[in-house]
Amino acid sequence: MSFSVAGAARALRSLLLAGAIAGGLGHAAQAQSSAAETIYASAPPRLLQVRTLVVDAGRQISNGSGFLVTADGLAITNYHVVAQVALEPKTYRLEYVAADGSQGAATLLDVDLPDDLAIIRIDKHDAPFFTFDERAMSGELPKGERLYSMGNPLDLGFTIVEGTYNGLVEHSYNERLHFTGALNPGMSGGPAVTADGRVVGVNVATRRGGQLISFLVPARFASALLDRARGQSAAAPVDQAAAAPDLHEAVAHQLTEWRSALYGALEKDGFRATALGPYRAPETQAQWFNCWASTNASATPAPRASINSTSCTSDTGLFVAADLNTGTVQITHSYAKTIDLNQFQFATVLTQLSQPRLVGGGPFRKWYTRERCQEDFVSVAATPDHPPLRVIWCAQAYREFEGLYDVALIAVTQDHNDEALVSRLSMQAVGYDDAMTLGRRFLEGLQVSK
Amino acid sequence: MIWVEILSRHRDIASRFRFPGPEVSIGRGYDNDVIIDDPYVAARHLRVFRDDEGRLVAEDLGSANGTFLDGSNKRLPRILVDGRHPIRIGQTFLRFREPGHAVEPERVAPQRGDILPAAAAVALVAGVLGLELLSVWFSQIAEPRALNYLTPILWTCVAILVWVGMWALLSRIFSGRSHFFRNLLIALSGAFAVSFYSELAKYLAFGWTFALASSYEYVAIWIVVAAVCFLHLREVGPSRLWLKGTVVTALLVVAVAVQTLQRSEALSDSGRQITLHILMPPSLRAVPYRSEADFFARVENLKATLDGDRAQARSSPRSPLSQAQ
Repeated sequence: MSFSVAGAARALRSLLLAGAIAGGLGHAAQAQSSAAETIYASAPPRLLQVRTLVVDAGRQISNGSGFLVTADGLAITNYHVVAQVALEPKTYRLEYVAADGSQGAATLLDVDLPDDLAIIRIDKHDAPFFTFDERAMSGELPKGERLYSMGNPLDLGFTIVEGTYNGLVEHSYNERLHFTGALNPGMSGGPAVTADGRVVGVNVATRRGGQLISFLVPARFASALLDRARGQSAAAPVDQAAAAPDLHEAVAHQLTEWRSALYGALEKDGFRATALGPYRAPETQAQWFNCWASTNASATPAPRASINSTSCTSDTGLFVAADLNTGTVQITHSYAKTIDLNQFQFATVLTQLSQPRLVGGGPFRKWYTRERCQEDFVSVAATPDHPPLRVIWCAQAYREFEGLYDVALIAVTQDHNDEALVSRLSMQAVGYDDAMTLGRRFLEGLQVSK
Repeated sequence: MIWVEILSRHRDIASRFRFPGPEVSIGRGYDNDVIIDDPYVAARHLRVFRDDEGRLVAEDLGSANGTFLDGSNKRLPRILVDGRHPIRIGQTFLRFREPGHAVEPERVAPQRGDILPAAAAVALVAGVLGLELLSVWFSQIAEPRALNYLTPILWTCVAILVWVGMWALLSRIFSGRSHFFRNLLIALSGAFAVSFYSELAKYLAFGWTFALASSYEYVAIWIVVAAVCFLHLREVGPSRLWLKGTVVTALLVVAVAVQTLQRSEALSDSGRQITLHILMPPSLRAVPYRSEADFFARVENLKATLDGDRAQARSSPRSPLSQAQ
């Protein structure tokens, strides 16, 4: 997604989770329309606030929203609303408060990590519920269609917000709908519906620093999750009193599946060569990357080595836990050439450019093992179009997720004393074999122009 | 003829008396030949005379505190004098010598025109400051500033002078001579060794892909510091070298152990090595290039290490999500 103000290479998306945040009052109520009035009038019994409570303290630690999708009490919300319960069920539990005032305990049934969805069961029977919009499911909704998003922003009470449907977000690996309307923390997991009250998407995130730029998870993923949960409860008879299933395995499994698909797609799309000085640098052909260039040409004081960089970052950050957002891929190439530095000073510049800086998506002590590195001179091929390289490979494993690693691969060309290409491939939450395959292709893609 | 020498606590000669007679009496009283103002010495304490065979003998005259050989706690009524071992009475050390006592041969004085030590000092100063300037120069990638060179040079000079001054003072206190120049040479050699090693380690880390040289640089530095301390201690006093060696070695072991522990705890907090991955001009490469297949075979071996790290982290009871396992 490239809505950010020019220059901001890394765009930020903020999830709509109301924690202990004392935010300012959100958006003033939209002008009343008869459609919104009609929709909201029928909403109360099926619109929910989903609260995460600390078991031992009995108080809420964060709030989100949700909505009923069946008559027997199945409701959809966001994964990030219930993530603490999914990962640490002994410390946290769920409760709901419906817009009509009814409340009670909620059980987490299943999650869809890549699409940030979760399905919960509450103790309601023969209740009214929301249905999914068929046109939205098949992608036929026209841009500009009026949508009405509901939820409980900042725990201030249930609201309905009018906005516009703007199709799929571009450059995004995970499908998201672009909704132009004011979503606020606490509305996560609430429904966004058409004028006839059918669900088009689920409120999920907003763009920090944007104006009314919000995102929805398409309804078809919620529908698929509902079908999966129904299939499971058909296989195993519903027992309301049963303890919540252990979802830690499911989270780990979905994370592994998702990253296999992600890095599989990256391998399939492959690299294309882009010229950078006398070198040809591999850039990904995948569509879901945001690419930016930077230069130090206009820096003050005048630089003594020119550095021109391109940086492509994937918009694939995945919310796993409140302190773990992972899955970003970044490809950076910096072409450095000395202006008046001697070769040793120039090597100092390259040293600074080439530190591994393995950035995890969360605090090290909780999620990662220590970094391990392999460093060597590598000659990819003896032909003159493959420059000799100094390569650093650093990796760290995820403590909790088998087969998941963060890897940084840095290659510095060694064919000249006064100029070099410093290339970096950073992969979060990657399988080791995928990382090695991509790493090989990356090194092979580093070439000298004819 | 008998020579009587009164020694200081460091067994240096404090005063020396010559007696032409066959016998000398020593004590605190004024009827002695040698008067010693030591409250632990008897009024008439010791008598030195020649026995029937003409040998010098020191005989205790019935003092309360007794007479001892230096370093021994055994009270001796009669001591056969050998001219080498000091004798202790009270808190005073004495030595008796015959006129025929053999002395060490004459030491040859350094030539007046011998400029070797001075040249060595100048060379070492040039080496230390040169390496310092070189490493500052190589790391200057922004606008050149004179102060960037001047500050480390001044600090190095001040540090070396303070260090040498401290050791010279200790030498002066314990051996009476400061040996400033020798201490300076020792300190300069140490400083040069440290600077040289730190540049060498960078070269080894890059050119030979031998990163251990750089990550265990602190061990090398501590070894140099220990060696320098030992040499300084030898200048302070050449006695009991084995004890000084043991103390210095013990301090070295403690320093290295503490720093290793500190690094390993920092590593377990941050998960990152604090050493840089150093790059130098490509022409300094000393090992052949690896093939891509060879490099990735090594990368693949790393996976087992990472999985081992994970297994270890998960088996630790403080694993944050272990209750969900």
